Amino acid sequence: MLAINLQILFSGLAVGAIYALVSLGFVLIIRATNVVNFAQGDFPMVAAFAMLTLLSSLKLPYLLSFVLSLAVMAVVGVAFNYGVYYPLRNRTYLPVLISTLGAGIFMQNAVLAIFGPQPHPLPKVFRAQGFQVGGVFLDSQYLLILAVTLVAVGFQYFLFEYTLLGKKLQATSQDKDMARLVGIPVAGMITFTFVYSAALGGLAGILVAPILFVSIGMGSTIALKAFSATIIGGFGDVTGAIVGGLLLGVVEAFAAAYVSVPYKDAFAFLLVFVFLLLRPQGIFGEKVSEKA
Amino acid sequence: MNGSWGAVLAALVLSLPVRTAGADAIKVGLVTEITGPNAESGAYSVNGAKLALEEINAAGGVMGRQIDLKITDSQSTNPGAVLALSKMASEGGYTAFIGPVRSTQIQAMAPTIMKAGLPMMIGGTDPGLTHAKNRWVFRARPSDAYSAKVIAEYGTKTLGRKKWAIVHATDAFGTGGKNALLDALKERGVTPVLVQGFTSNTQDFTPIILAVKQSGADVVGTYIPNSPDVGIFSKQLRQLGVNAEWIGSPSLVTETAMKLGQEALHGIYSVSDFTPDANPEAKAYAEKYRKKYGVAPDFYSSWTYDAMKLVAEAIKKANSTKPEDLRNAILATQGYKGVEGTYNFDKNGDGLHGYNVVKNDKGKVAFITRIDFPPSQESHGGTASGSQ
Amino acid sequence: MSEAATSTMAPPITVRRPRLRPRLIPPLVVLALLPFLPFAITVSDYTLNILMQATTYAMPVLGLAIVLGYTGQINLAQAAFFGLGAYAVALVTVTLGQSFWIGLPIGVALAAGLGFVLGLTTLRLGGHYLAMITISFQQIFDLVLNNWIAVTRGPDGIAGIARPSLFGWVLADARTYLVLCAAVLYAMVAFVWWLPSTRLGRAMRAVRENELAAEVTGVHTLRVKVVAFTISSALAGMGGVLFAAGFAYVSPDNFSFGRSVEFLTMVLLGGVQSPIGAALGTVLLILLPEWLRFLKGIYLAVYGLAVILIMVFMPEGIWGLIQTVWKRLARPAPVEVGRVRPLELDIPVADTSPILHLREVRKHFGGVKAVAGVDIQVSRGTVHALIGPNGSGKTTILNVLNGIYRPTAGGIVLDGEDVTGRSPHERAGRGLGRTFQNIRLFSALSALENVMVGAQRDGNPLPPGNAALRERALSALGFVGLADRAHLVVKNLPYGHQRLVEIARALAGHPKLLLLDEPAAGLNPVEKQSLVELLKRLRSAHGLTIFLIEHDMGLIEQVSDRISVINFGKKIAEGAPAEVLRHPDVIAAYLGTPGHAAA
Repeated sequence: MLAINLQILFSGLAVGAIYALVSLGFVLIIRATNVVNFAQGDFPMVAAFAMLTLLSSLKLPYLLSFVLSLAVMAVVGVAFNYGVYYPLRNRTYLPVLISTLGAGIFMQNAVLAIFGPQPHPLPKVFRAQGFQVGGVFLDSQYLLILAVTLVAVGFQYFLFEYTLLGKKLQATSQDKDMARLVGIPVAGMITFTFVYSAALGGLAGILVAPILFVSIGMGSTIALKAFSATIIGGFGDVTGAIVGGLLLGVVEAFAAAYVSVPYKDAFAFLLVFVFLLLRPQGIFGEKVSEKA
Repeated sequence: MNGSWGAVLAALVLSLPVRTAGADAIKVGLVTEITGPNAESGAYSVNGAKLALEEINAAGGVMGRQIDLKITDSQSTNPGAVLALSKMASEGGYTAFIGPVRSTQIQAMAPTIMKAGLPMMIGGTDPGLTHAKNRWVFRARPSDAYSAKVIAEYGTKTLGRKKWAIVHATDAFGTGGKNALLDALKERGVTPVLVQGFTSNTQDFTPIILAVKQSGADVVGTYIPNSPDVGIFSKQLRQLGVNAEWIGSPSLVTETAMKLGQEALHGIYSVSDFTPDANPEAKAYAEKYRKKYGVAPDFYSSWTYDAMKLVAEAIKKANSTKPEDLRNAILATQGYKGVEGTYNFDKNGDGLHGYNVVKNDKGKVAFITRIDFPPSQESHGGTASGSQ
Repeated sequence: MSEAATSTMAPPITVRRPRLRPRLIPPLVVLALLPFLPFAITVSDYTLNILMQATTYAMPVLGLAIVLGYTGQINLAQAAFFGLGAYAVALVTVTLGQSFWIGLPIGVALAAGLGFVLGLTTLRLGGHYLAMITISFQQIFDLVLNNWIAVTRGPDGIAGIARPSLFGWVLADARTYLVLCAAVLYAMVAFVWWLPSTRLGRAMRAVRENELAAEVTGVHTLRVKVVAFTISSALAGMGGVLFAAGFAYVSPDNFSFGRSVEFLTMVLLGGVQSPIGAALGTVLLILLPEWLRFLKGIYLAVYGLAVILIMVFMPEGIWGLIQTVWKRLARPAPVEVGRVRPLELDIPVADTSPILHLREVRKHFGGVKAVAGVDIQVSRGTVHALIGPNGSGKTTILNVLNGIYRPTAGGIVLDGEDVTGRSPHERAGRGLGRTFQNIRLFSALSALENVMVGAQRDGNPLPPGNAALRERALSALGFVGLADRAHLVVKNLPYGHQRLVEIARALAGHPKLLLLDEPAAGLNPVEKQSLVELLKRLRSAHGLTIFLIEHDMGLIEQVSDRISVINFGKKIAEGAPAEVLRHPDVIAAYLGTPGHAAA
């Protein structure tokens, strides 16, 4: 019994880690630009396809493919910034929100037009399938995901708290005008944020592709769940994104095991409902009042 | 509105590289998924039909006339399918139609099919499609009533397994298959130890597989339409140490599924309406297809190949393109050796009544046996459903 | 500035807006006869199918025009409401074997009911949160539809939905059914067309433009949003009802999130703020895939790109573009300034108790004590000023007074009633008017419409009906000298005039107590002097009390009866201007050169 629950816990954490990684990207963009990017789930997808092309079609070594794929994501981030955010940066949230929806549709269908609708496999990083520890099987890719997420979170924490760049990014996200006045290149900071966020999403995609396979729709469900995680954890809060993601993954796994498998997805949305109604600032967020 | 504009444009642009035979050509319309999430299978359907078309025309056509194949896009949606068919029907001049493989789309098109009053060959496997009092619907694939019976028969009799776990997607195909399998097992005195549904595109099957393990099942029967689901399920099944036999619906042995599941799928059984080694016709077809398209064919293309040929045969036999004559000719088709099997049409319009059983032998699909049943005469209430 | 007209015997003004001009009648007749065209000329089944799809889809899109276009609330669940109506009819007619005409009201009621519930969530949320909640709702609906097989028959869908019969006649013929759909659609379009000029419609648009200002001006913003959601969902449900009987088959994949996005795109492309735009967008996005069938795979990618381009270059949609051109050509009738009634501002004074008592009010934000125990009483019919250095807590006091903030401690008594727990619009309903430091007008509305929203507040002593509201609004505009600019959209007005419109909006509510937050901010010396004149005229209104925050000491000296001085959230001095402005503590706190007078 314990083994079963541990197994469920492990798979829940691993899936949750993916939610968390994508969530991180979300939160970053929200903090810097106040934009909710409904196309965030498509970053993992594009990166996975890039990886597929480099690794499987062009047969480049894994590490090189990985780095190049992230480079591709950086370009995507820049394009996103200048194509979707920048022209609408002075409008209200609504046009931007809808624009990101359009960007998502575009990315999915552009990839579809180029690669076709079939899903493709991507080799795992480690040859070993995984390890059996007691009654629990630990998939090697899942372990990698958990490890990388930890590193990514640590890196992000270090970046924001201990480097000048991080401070500048924080300043930009808190008050753009003031940041400009003290000489921070705000436009550059925002571009960097999009690039970093796209790369984060790409990282998530490359990590999860061996498990979920490279397909057009691989990002859509993850994105919605990641968004839910952001709300549960605390809109705009980085710790919240991580905790929210992991929590959501675990809750889903146990709900599937003990309540109902087909309605598993509903739990994410129910949780969101409940949180939004009772505690909209999420677990870690702060209540923000508007200055009248 | 601009329906006529659109029709002209469509007619112009959509006359794909099919031999646009003269004005005397017999028009057959194909509704399939060119765009949308199911575009992959749609492309295969087109391939199969075109291959048949070329052979028929090369042999002189039927009644001394060539056949012209027109293709419209259902966009993988129900309204899209209805509009596609309705556009062709409105154009007029068609002799017969070949429809999609999704049962929900066929259900949506049902009123339009009735109105058009022309024979339509369908590829959906929902048993209820031929029991809905629609005299113009004919099925060129075996329905899921039979896939379930074959799974149950092979699993209980040949493999000797009695503790069944059924895992199925909760979409149309999966639920219908599950219901049919429950019925078939009941007929053989077996009650499953586990029935578990899941929403398609699940990322993680751990809870389900643990449940299978706990139930002590020695055989798993599945109806899982999506290849990624098959891939993830198979991998996790092995990782979590489930050693039961596995017999599932045809989606287990598609190229894509096998590419994704790789070793995890070795040794599993599947029912399949199309297997190259099942009969000489299938073998010949596979060679021709490979030569022309460079890849191996699967059931998406094989049934349209058969459908096209069946239509041509019926026209030949009836020596007429009138709808009623055609209908009678199709229903009278007995013993026609198609790629999917030998067609014996029953009065409901079902041509096939059995499935092949195949095994994944280290990555190769090996034909094991074929199990056929006598044509089913009772009418279903239309509760089961399926596609593919 | 012009003086208000002196003639009190002038009959009420009816300012005609371009309504049903005779010129419009021929095109309307053509429109009315259009649905009957298929009986005259042969139209293919395919075309009829497209028309049926277009008319039924246009209904949820019209709903979006209301909830998103008019009220500014994002709704990504419209397909779910569409589906509720469709499934209700399917279940009632097929499963329960009842008549379509029983299924219809059930479908619409079900959709409206759930729309109501969803609207209630706007109490807590807006913007992205609301988007997320509507998406969640849509996804849950989708899951239930697919998995509650016992009721919905799951992914199979429900087939065999029969056409309704009308007066014994079954509407089996697609053309007759189309006439029914068209009739319903026309009724909806007319309704959505008429809505903006009603009380509710103005309130909706005010909420969209500036929700806070709307709330403070007296609009019950929650109720408006809930009503918007309910109506919008009801329209979508109706569309679903007609869709189901039209296509005879419903299945879950027709009512998914993708469809909601499609509806949204339709309304944005056509023009989100207009029923015609909604219809236009629907038709275009149904025909486009048909016309572009040859683009196949690239089509959807182009679709996505098009959405972005529309948002960037054409946010008002196609119809919006057309309207901007049309508006330049068609000008509304000018206001006859001479016939504007003078503004009634007098308040009956029953007793001499203070009209406002701020009782030991405290407001803390976390550790910051913005207001640290302030007690002020304001006498009726006086002008009471609140001054203090920047950051002393003046605006916070005003916001607590208004109800925008809840005080951490203490209470507010307005005209003898404890209003501490009352929402801003309730306080407005009790005669509290306000202007903001940084002007909060409803930018896309005209000056007249802005001021009419002010006149709409609960409890405003006016006869019922739009005419009375319009009159009152014109009077208020006349008072500030802008009656001749009534029809101009306020975002095009110069800053000084915008300020005046905001004051007029507050005055239109016939306030007992008028709160002015730095009314002179941003005005040049000439405008400031006009403002002083205006304030002096307000003073002469019997019984009207004014409570204002200002920095300009010269202005304050000219108009105030009493001054309270705040520093670091505490009151440090209070009294007549002469004494306060010479008080050493006050001077020490912040006064610069004395006698700093407005030009």
